[in-house]
Formats: sequence, C-alpha cells, structure tokens
Amino acid sequence: MPGRCLPRFTNGVEVTVNGVVILDSRRDPAANRPDRNTAQIAVIPASVLHDGANNVSIKLFIWGPITGFLDRIWVGPDELLRPSYNLRTLIFVTLPVVFSSWQAILAVILGIMWVMRRHEPAYGVLAAAMAVGVGQAFLQTPMGETPFSRLNVILISSAPIESGLVLTFALLFSGWKWQRYGWIIFIPGVLLALAGLFGSQAMVRALFLYLAVPMVGLSLLIIAVVTARSMLKRRNVASLLLGCAVTIMLTCWVVDLLSVFQMMPNRIFTARLSYSAMLVAIGAGLTWRFARALNEVDGFASRLVTQVREAEEKLKASFAREEERARAAALARERTRLMRDLHDGLGGQLVSIVALSERGNGSAPIGDAARAALKDLRLVIDSMDDIGGDLMLALGSWRERAMAQLRPHDIALDWRAVTPQGLPVHPELRPWHVIQIVRLLDEAVTNAVKHANARRVTVRIETLAGADGLDRGCITVEDDGKGFEIAPDGVAAGAIKAARGLRNMRSRAARCGAELELSSCAQGTDQGTRVRLTLPHRFPDSDGAAG
Amino acid sequence: MNSLNDGLKAEAITVVLVEDDAPTLWRLQDALAKAGYQVRAAGTLAEARACLAEGAPRVLLTDLQLPDGHGVDLIRETRQRFPDTEIMVISILGDEESVISAITVGATGYLLKDAFPTDIAATVRDLVAGHSPISASIARFIVRRTQNTPEPPPGPALNTAKLTPREIDILWGIAKGFSYAEIASHLGLSRQTVPGHIKNIYRKLEVHTRGEAVFEAVQQGLIKL
Repeated sequence: MPGRCLPRFTNGVEVTVNGVVILDSRRDPAANRPDRNTAQIAVIPASVLHDGANNVSIKLFIWGPITGFLDRIWVGPDELLRPSYNLRTLIFVTLPVVFSSWQAILAVILGIMWVMRRHEPAYGVLAAAMAVGVGQAFLQTPMGETPFSRLNVILISSAPIESGLVLTFALLFSGWKWQRYGWIIFIPGVLLALAGLFGSQAMVRALFLYLAVPMVGLSLLIIAVVTARSMLKRRNVASLLLGCAVTIMLTCWVVDLLSVFQMMPNRIFTARLSYSAMLVAIGAGLTWRFARALNEVDGFASRLVTQVREAEEKLKASFAREEERARAAALARERTRLMRDLHDGLGGQLVSIVALSERGNGSAPIGDAARAALKDLRLVIDSMDDIGGDLMLALGSWRERAMAQLRPHDIALDWRAVTPQGLPVHPELRPWHVIQIVRLLDEAVTNAVKHANARRVTVRIETLAGADGLDRGCITVEDDGKGFEIAPDGVAAGAIKAARGLRNMRSRAARCGAELELSSCAQGTDQGTRVRLTLPHRFPDSDGAAG
Repeated sequence: MNSLNDGLKAEAITVVLVEDDAPTLWRLQDALAKAGYQVRAAGTLAEARACLAEGAPRVLLTDLQLPDGHGVDLIRETRQRFPDTEIMVISILGDEESVISAITVGATGYLLKDAFPTDIAATVRDLVAGHSPISASIARFIVRRTQNTPEPPPGPALNTAKLTPREIDILWGIAKGFSYAEIASHLGLSRQTVPGHIKNIYRKLEVHTRGEAVFEAVQQGLIKL
C-alpha cells in the first residue's frame, strides 16, 4: 500500500487523490501550530486509486502573515516512509510534550518554593512563566467559535507574557529591585491578549508576528546581558547555566527569524525546542542552589557548634576567674578579721608573757615558747595573704622572721637568690602549701640553732631546669654546724628529738609534692647539715599525705 | 658599742613611749634606757599628751589601742605639732592593718612588741639616723595597692598614686626578701640611698590633712564631686 509523506508545511495542507480528500491538516489542531514543524503522513487507500494516471493534488493554505512553505514531498510505500515519519514525530511532537511535562513539574516546584519563601518573588514569577508555558503547549488551537476559543487564543499567543515573566525573573534574580515602570515589560503581552479577546484571528496572527516575536527576542537579549553581568559579578553556577540557555535560545530565535524571512534554505522552527535548554538550566540552577543552601546550613551549623563551644569555654574561664577572685577576696576578708582578733586577743597576751618572762628569773623557756607562738601566729596570718603564687613573697617575710630568730644567737643568715627571678610562679599555690614549706624551712633553721651550734646559715634559692624541660624551684638551707650521722633509712641516728624533727620535715615535703634531700657531715671542711627542698612543677590540689 | 652609747647619752635622745600593757611597757622602757635613751613613758593617751606638752621628743613610740583613745590620733597630732619628731608604731604582729594606718597619719616605721631588746634599740637608732624600717609584708601590701584591681583589697585605704616606678621596684625587692644591697645592685642604685627611698615612700603615703585626703580621693577617682 503506497503512502505519502508531507514533512513540513505552512500553514495548512489538503491532499486530494482523484478528487477524494485523504488529508486535511486543518482538522488536526496539533498540525495547526506552525512553530511545531509537525509532519503529516497521508495514507492513500487502494480504493481511490485506479489503473492509469492518478491525479494527486496538494493544496497549500496560507493565512499569513508569514509566507507559505511546503517541504519536499516524499511518496512511497508505508514501510519506507514510516520510520522517517516516526522520527520526525518523536523530535517535533513527542519531545516537546516531554519538555512541557517537565515544565509543569518545574511550575509546581517553583510555586511551592515561592509559597514557602514569600520574600523571594523571583521564584513566584518564574513559576508563573512556567505555568503560562505549560498552558501554551497543551492547549489546542480553536477549531471553531466556542465559548472558550477566545481564551485558547489568548493563552496560545501568550509567548510575550511568558518571555516578560522570564525576563522579570532574570532581573530579580540578578538583584534588580522591582520598579513601577517594570510593567512595561508586559504591555506587548497584554495588547496581544486584548487582540485575542476582541480582534479577529488574522489580527492576532499579525500582532503575534510583529509584536510577540520581537518582544521574545528583546527579552532574550536583555536576559543575556543581565545574566552576563551577573555571571561576571557573582561568578555563580546558576548564572552560567542561565547564560548558556539564553545564548542557545537567542541563536535559535535568530535562525527562526531568518527562516521566516526565507533566508534559510529549509524551514525548521527551533525556538520552541531550544526552550528546553532554558528548562534544563532552570532545573539545574535550582538544584545547585538547593545543594549550596544545604552546604551552607551544614557549614553554619558546624560554625555555630564551634562558636558555641568557644563561648562556653570563655564563659567557663571567666567563671573560674570570677570564682578565684571571689575566693581570694573571701580569704582576704577572713584574714583581716582573724588578724584583728589575734591582735586584740591572743597576740597581746603572748607579748605580755614574753615581757613577764624576761622580768622573772628562770622563766626563759616560757618566754621562748611565747615568742615561738607569736612567730607562728605571724606565719599563719602571713601565709593567708594573697601572694599570687609567688613563693618569693612568702620567703621575704620568712627571711625577716629567721633573721630575728638567728640574731640573738649570733648566727649569720646568708641569703642567696641564685637565679634573678628566684622561684617560678605557681598560680596553684595555696596557703596550706605555703605554711608547710615555711614550717619546713623553720625546722631546718631551728635545728641549726638548737642542735648544730652553727655560726652561719646559708639559704640558696634557685630555679632548676629539669631534664623534662619543666622548671622547678629549689630551696637549700645549709649550716656549718656539727652535723650528725644519718642512718641508712634516712632517719637521723642521734637524738630522738632531732629524729622527730626530720620526720616532720619529710612529711611536710611529701604533702606539697616536694622532694627533700638531707645530707649531713660530722667532720671535715664540708661539716654541717644541708636540707635541700626541690619544689614540684605543680603543687597538688589536695593534701596528699593527709590520710 | 659603748662609745656609741656614750655619744647617744651626750645628745640625750628623748623618746616618748606610749603603751598600755604594763609588762610590755617596762620591757620596752628597759631596752631603750639600757641603750642610753631618755625615755618618758605613758600608759594612756592623756598621759602621752601631757608628756608631749613638756616639749618635742626626738622619737615617739606608740601603741595603737589605748584605754582612752586611739594611737592614730596621737601620731597625727604629734606629726602636726612636731614635724621633726620621728614616729614609730608599736605593733604586735607587724600587720598592715596597724602599720599602714599609722603610716598614713605620719609614722615612718614600726616596732614589734616582742622584739629582742638589742633589736629594739637598734631600730630606734636606725630611725634617728634616717633609716625607716619596713617589713616584707608591709612592702607587699603597698605594692599590691599600686596594682589596678577591680575592687580594693580589704584593709586600710592607701593612696599609692605618688609612688614612682623606682620606688615600686624597691618595694618589690623588699617584699621578695632581697637585702638593701641586692636591691641597690639590681636597680643600679647606691646601697646607702635605699633607706632614704623607703622614708620617701612613707612620706608619700602620708595623708596630711583632711582636705588633702579629699583632694587625693578626687584625683584617684574615688570620689565624684
């Protein structure tokens, strides 16, 4: 059975075989859209053919304003023509339907986006453009005068409105603020709609060619310029995609224009197909923005977490500082109160005891005891003072007390701060550490006075750089007295009283985490006792040897 | 020592000693008399004023807590009436509470009540020679007042605004137990000038009049007019 194919035509075609009409494209609404390049295949029934010459006539209908066009005509058996016809239908009919479905989906997505983000009207505008485009694609050309035919006309010829909306979107997207004069973008579209509502079909067609087509071109041109500027300024992927799509569309628009003016050998309208590039760009751009927004949210969240952690740490530190300050202030107040109490009470009574014991005979031990008690009182009050972790300040007061203690015995105190800064500063130093250290040193000096018959006591203060790179303070009390033998277990072999004193010193050192080294020599040039106290790098928080 | 004592006797250095605790008073009086000072003793504020009415002593030694008043008043009066009299406060503990309040009204030193007799005499002798004694804890207290802290530490008010950086350095040295010689060598001073600096420090800490106290409080921003 021979078939006949008419690939493309403008505007309508009627095929007659031997006076019998076998195809009238005007009855097919889809074929009435010149922008779709619809191919038609006319099947010639065997019944209309007869032997001899058959008369086949093709009538081309032209209803302007564009010139008529009839592509090359192919005649042949169905099996030869059908694949070619199917291909053309796929490209020019099926594919646009697929794109229009995609456009419908985009319209919904963008609509939802606009509803959720009302402060970004660009999405609403683009959603409207997509909706108009869908309407255009799926509505059929009116076949006769029906109540909705004029509405159909308006919607089918809504290309200028659509391009106006896309232009508005591009302007808003590139950061332009909507102005009242922006409405002029929609004037051609409104004029065309009015013509569709009140004018004749011919008038609509003429207006479409002379108003809508330049409007679309102009919109594309403006969009191209705007996106190019936006692309250069912001360097983002969305602008780049939009720019590519607009370039493709603008090229196709020029090609179509040339076709209309018969400056191209073949007439294939490409504008509608190229619109798919725009749809792809919009989809890709949306996805890109969505992904980037997600990344930003992630980044923001992690930054927030870091900032919150930093702020928390700062707060903790300042809270600890505040607590430390409050503690120091409370200690200072307590010290002041205690000092007044001791001054008015116990201190005065002890002084009286000292004075009375000096008047009577044989009561010197009582006076010594009272004096020792006073000395201890001063030590307790002194160690409660805030010395800011600088043990040197506590040693300064101790030096005065030691000198006062040694002077009546005619023992010289040789004070040597070997390193200029003396001892390292220990912020963790607490009053009870100070008391232990100072009492330990007192013990060493008292031993030199009472048991060693020393003439000179030397105190060396230095900072030693340890093997582990940590600085450690070191205080050495050395006398030139008679010394004593130290038993292998480190306890003095001599008097029980001296042994107890040494044990006390060891326990005090242990409580502060300090190392105590005792050496004593009974004869020779090195005669004397040496107490060497190496302070810890960090003083313990709690009393380690309390139990 | 004897020749020195003779010299002191010859000059007849007069000391007014004010102390209400009888044993302590005897003890101090003994120590000073044995060293050759001419001592006039008083047990109350009224007796002290009577002593001072007889004429300006070279040295005034006074306790702060007296049965009929406070030693601070006596120090202030003496400082105004006899600017050349050296004033020292007798303190039980040598604490800043008593010593600093005495310094701000014009005392230039302190004496511990339980000091050994020889130390008592030596301290007074040094004072007359222009060497004001200062303890590590007092130096520490003054130095801490020179540091800017949000709220002043408890204890008597003290205006350290007039102290020079060098004087503050000297106080740091004393607070850390360095001797005058060590401080002098650290700071590039002559050893003999350090006691003078200390006396200057005491003088600068003195608040002379009520009006001056107000003026200084305004200067330091403690009072807004």
